Parts: sequence; structure tokens; C-alpha cells
Amino acid sequence: MSKPDRIDGRRRRSARTRQLVVDAYLALLRENPRVPTAAAIADRAGYSVRSIFERFPDLHALRIAATDEAMAKAAAYVAAHPPLGDRIERMRIHVVTRATVCQEWLPLWRALNLNQGDSAELKARIGLARQLIIRRIEEAYGPELSTLDELPRRQTVLAIETLVDFESWARMRELFGLEFAEACNVWIHAIDRLLPPTPAIS
Amino acid sequence: MSDQVPTRPAKIDGRRLRSERTKQLIIEAYLELAHELSPRVPTAAEIAGRAGYSVRSVFERFPDIRALQVAAVDYALAQVAALAPPRGVEGDRRSRIESQTLTRAQTCERWLPLWRSLIVNQGDSIELKDRVKKSRDWTMQRLELMYQPELATLSALERRQMLVALEAITDVESWARMREFFGLSFDEARLAWTQVIDRLLPRGSIHAASEDAAAGEGAASLKHPCRSPTE
Repeated sequence: MSKPDRIDGRRRRSARTRQLVVDAYLALLRENPRVPTAAAIADRAGYSVRSIFERFPDLHALRIAATDEAMAKAAAYVAAHPPLGDRIERMRIHVVTRATVCQEWLPLWRALNLNQGDSAELKARIGLARQLIIRRIEEAYGPELSTLDELPRRQTVLAIETLVDFESWARMRELFGLEFAEACNVWIHAIDRLLPPTPAIS
Repeated sequence: MSDQVPTRPAKIDGRRLRSERTKQLIIEAYLELAHELSPRVPTAAEIAGRAGYSVRSVFERFPDIRALQVAAVDYALAQVAALAPPRGVEGDRRSRIESQTLTRAQTCERWLPLWRSLIVNQGDSIELKDRVKKSRDWTMQRLELMYQPELATLSALERRQMLVALEAITDVESWARMREFFGLSFDEARLAWTQVIDRLLPRGSIHAASEDAAAGEGAASLKHPCRSPTE
């Protein structure tokens, strides 16, 4: 085996280990929103604690890497479902996509909010996630929002952002006991009421 | 004998009163600190220091910090209820929306740090979870009371959907985001709630509600808009 091949093989194995450590961290967060210990992560990933700290300088760096990974996955899922079509279809695509993201990533979102502490990096990720949610709302309901002045437009976007928040989803599912489709319908009906009429295509 | 008998209960009562007063001051110290340090739970030493008592005094009145937390949440919930009675229930639609959003905004503004602390630190405590649920039930009941005329025009399913949406939009964290993340002033945030609720609610009579629904852009095809993604 030539030297570059050997180096490539080592790099690939190291990247794989890194990925498995991130996966283990995310799996543990799904079970408990408290930050898992290095020993618990190592145990779940099947590596030594030393392996973790060879790839991440500290647990905070691992937390950031895991958050970035989760956000990238959620963003890719959302991007694969562009909100196109008539008003109803756009509402349906937006809401079902958003609901799926909430369902999948709620434990991580809770952990992120719970453990952000004073971390500027984690706070920035929370801010970015909210900006992406807002951009998606503006994209999905562009035709309707374009008919509003600045203030009502802002209020409408804020209201929809609040409505489709992770914890709003959690309450519908956990507190009010709604099924996935029932909860989606709550959001769709409310968004339909919040939006102004769709302008006619000129 | 006859001289001493009447003074004894008075002495016990005095001790009880002082003990109750100490308990109350510890709860108030806890609430002040929980507000300042939110979401971190204050330590026994911090609470004792703020209340002006020893740590031992704290644990003579509460078996552990969790018991103190529960007592403090009960006290706070009683305060919320006392400070936010329903106002203008008989008023017209506009004044009821104004009244409800003002009361809710004031509650959120005042209790946000404590609420966050409660949510973050409820852990597996059945008692704290029960308080969170009670608080949410209380909010739902208030919404039902304030918007009874509009809700009465809806079917049971629509009414439930409307209440869930109203609860989400007027949640404490919704208020926090408007104030902290979007940088809205108290009045701007309240105005946003007022206008959004006005758009969400159907008009006040059955006749108007059906017109309202018919006017809704997607109303005709919104009967069953969403199925599970697995279907």
C-alpha cells in the first residue's frame, strides 16, 4: 500500500470514528436532555474516552459539532420539500415538513436550549435555526405576505413562527394528545386564518 | 395555675406565627433568586443568605430544595391568579381581545424567568409537572372564558383547534421571543398579539362565522388538509 493510500485510509477511519461519536451523543440526548458524560458517549459509540478527546478538544466542541450536524440534516430535509403549488398545497408542504422536523429533532432542540449556558456558539445556532424557520415561512407564503404592509407582514410572520415552534408542537402531541395529522391540521387552519387572501396571478 | 394556662397557647401561637413568617420569607427569597438566576435553581446557602436565616432554618421548614420549589411555585401561581383576574368578560370583541392580551402580556413579562426555571428544572418531579399542567389548563380556561362568544360559533373540533392555536400564540416563550429575539417593545409585542388574535378568531355570530369561513381563502378545501406522512 502506498503512503497516500495509507493516510487516506487513516483519515477515513478517523472521520468515521468522529461521526460515530457525534451519532452516539445525539442518541443519548434523545434519551435524556442533560448533557451526557464523556464516558457515556464513549460507551455508546464503542470507543475509549481518549478517542473522543482525540477528535474533540472538549465536550463543548462535540456539542457544537452535533448541533451543526443536526441542523444540516434538518435543513437538507426541508430543502428537499420546496413549498410550491397553490395556497393549500404550500400550507400542507410547509406544515408537514415543519412537523416532521419538530418530531425528529425536538429532543435535541430541548437539550440545546437547556444546555446553551453562556455559549455564544450555541446561542448563535439557536438564532440561526430561528432565522431559517422565518425564511421558510416567507418563502412558503410569499404571495400572501407580499400584499401586506411592513408592520402586519412582520406580525403575521412572527405569529406563524410562534405557532410552528418546537414547543408548540410538543404541547399538541404531549399535553393535548393530538395525533400527527390532527396537530398538522391545527397549524394549517390557524395559518389559513392568519394569512391574507392570495392575490390573483396577473 | 389559673394564671399560667391562658398564656401557653398564646406562646405556641406566637411561635407558629414566627415559623410561618420565616417560611414565607424563605419562599420569597427563593422566588427573588430564581428570578435573578433563572434558569439555575438557587442553592440552600443563597436562599438562606437572602432570607436572612441559617441553612438549618431552611431545612427545618422544607425537607429539601424540591419541596421549597413546589411551595414557591404554588405561591407564584396563587399570585398570578390574584393579580390577573378576568377583566371585561362582558365587553365587545375588541375590548375583550385588548383586555386578554394586556393581562397575558403582564403575566408573561413578570413571570418569564420563573417559568423558564420551572420548565428547565421540573425534571422527573410529578409535583412540578402537575403545576406546569395546571398553569396551562388555567391559561386555556381563561382563553375559553374571554373568547366564549367567538368560540361558541365553532364546532367542537374547530373550537379545540382554535384554543390550541391561541394557546401556542400566547405562550410565555412566544412573548419572550418577541421581546428578546425580535426586540419588540412591550406595546409592540402586545399589539402583535392583539392583531393576530383578531385575525384568528371567527366573527362573533354564527351567521358572521359562516361568512367568515366562506371568505377564508382555503376554507373550502380545508376539511381534511393533512394526513400523516406515512399514509
